[in-house]
Amino acid sequence: MDELELLKKDWQKQEDTLPELSYDQLYKMHLKKSSSIVKWIFIISVLEFVFWPLLDFVLRISGLKGESKGEWYDNLITAVGFVAYGVMLYFAIQFFLNYKRIKTTDSSKVLMKNILKTRKTVKQYVWTNVIFFVLVSVILIGHMVFYEPNLAGHELSVKLLILVVFVFCIAVFVAGIVLFYRLVYGILIRKLQKNYEELEKIEI
Amino acid sequence: MSKELEHSFVTHLQENQKIAHKVCRIYTDDADAHNDLFQEITIQLWKAYPKFRGESKFSTWMYRVALNTAITLYRKSKKRIKTEEFNMVEYRLTVDTYDDGVEQQLKLLYAAVKQLNDIEKALVFLYLEDKNYKEIAYALGITEVNARVKMNRVKMKLKKILNP
Repeated sequence: MDELELLKKDWQKQEDTLPELSYDQLYKMHLKKSSSIVKWIFIISVLEFVFWPLLDFVLRISGLKGESKGEWYDNLITAVGFVAYGVMLYFAIQFFLNYKRIKTTDSSKVLMKNILKTRKTVKQYVWTNVIFFVLVSVILIGHMVFYEPNLAGHELSVKLLILVVFVFCIAVFVAGIVLFYRLVYGILIRKLQKNYEELEKIEI
Repeated sequence: MSKELEHSFVTHLQENQKIAHKVCRIYTDDADAHNDLFQEITIQLWKAYPKFRGESKFSTWMYRVALNTAITLYRKSKKRIKTEEFNMVEYRLTVDTYDDGVEQQLKLLYAAVKQLNDIEKALVFLYLEDKNYKEIAYALGITEVNARVKMNRVKMKLKKILNP
């Protein structure tokens, strides 16, 4: 086939126009596997940052949050919201900085250090979220059980029973959240860990 | 020990990087995609490197890993085919208005190759690299007979694209 022969000749002429990377460039490229993982951690945290306000908005629109339960309660919810978004923003920035740092690293020692740092940030983030959730739930339920007009009249034993049921529900929720984080961030962290181990081997 | 392994890997990679670059040329259309694929190939090569025991030449082995990587990645982004088909029509239109220069013919040929599927591209690539059927069979993990049959089919298909 003449056309294919023509193509072959042209193909073999291209050798000189191909990019040529130096040993150092290739070595650096070889180290950079981690940057894409950390980038994903950053992206997921941003998605989360977008998801919660969106959920809040949807709930408001569908009228699920319409009823006011007193000034104290509303103020608390607003305060909790502020703190929650503050925390999320803080961590999103941290994740971004981690990503930036890892992206520009070119020695394996510094890269290892940064991987450890990223792992720490992720762990802090997960625990902050869990603790925050538990704290807010306990306050809200406590308030509901003891001050809600519909419930306040009941006997103590009934209140305690309700409390126990709620605590159980919170426990289930927390387990769900922890599981979610373990799945989403756990996979990424494990990949990072593997890269870290590889780097460790190289360094010795 | 591991540092030595890494050094020998990067040295091999540097000596044979043209193979990866050429695979990128066949499978990608722009510089960004080229770099992405190139990096992915180096990652896959390094992952598989401990298994490379030197029973074949590094370059032979590299053809296999690089093509495998490109084929796997390409499968994930099949959408591109459509735009290539569109380009092909455009090429044909422009070509018709010029006389049959070699440059134009080559453009048409490259456009035709871009229209092939992932495996067919690999076959054409190995053909362009002047590989024999034994090498082609090894690179694609198929038998020599199968490689021959497939190669003939691809050539037919290219002919059909060029002269419908």
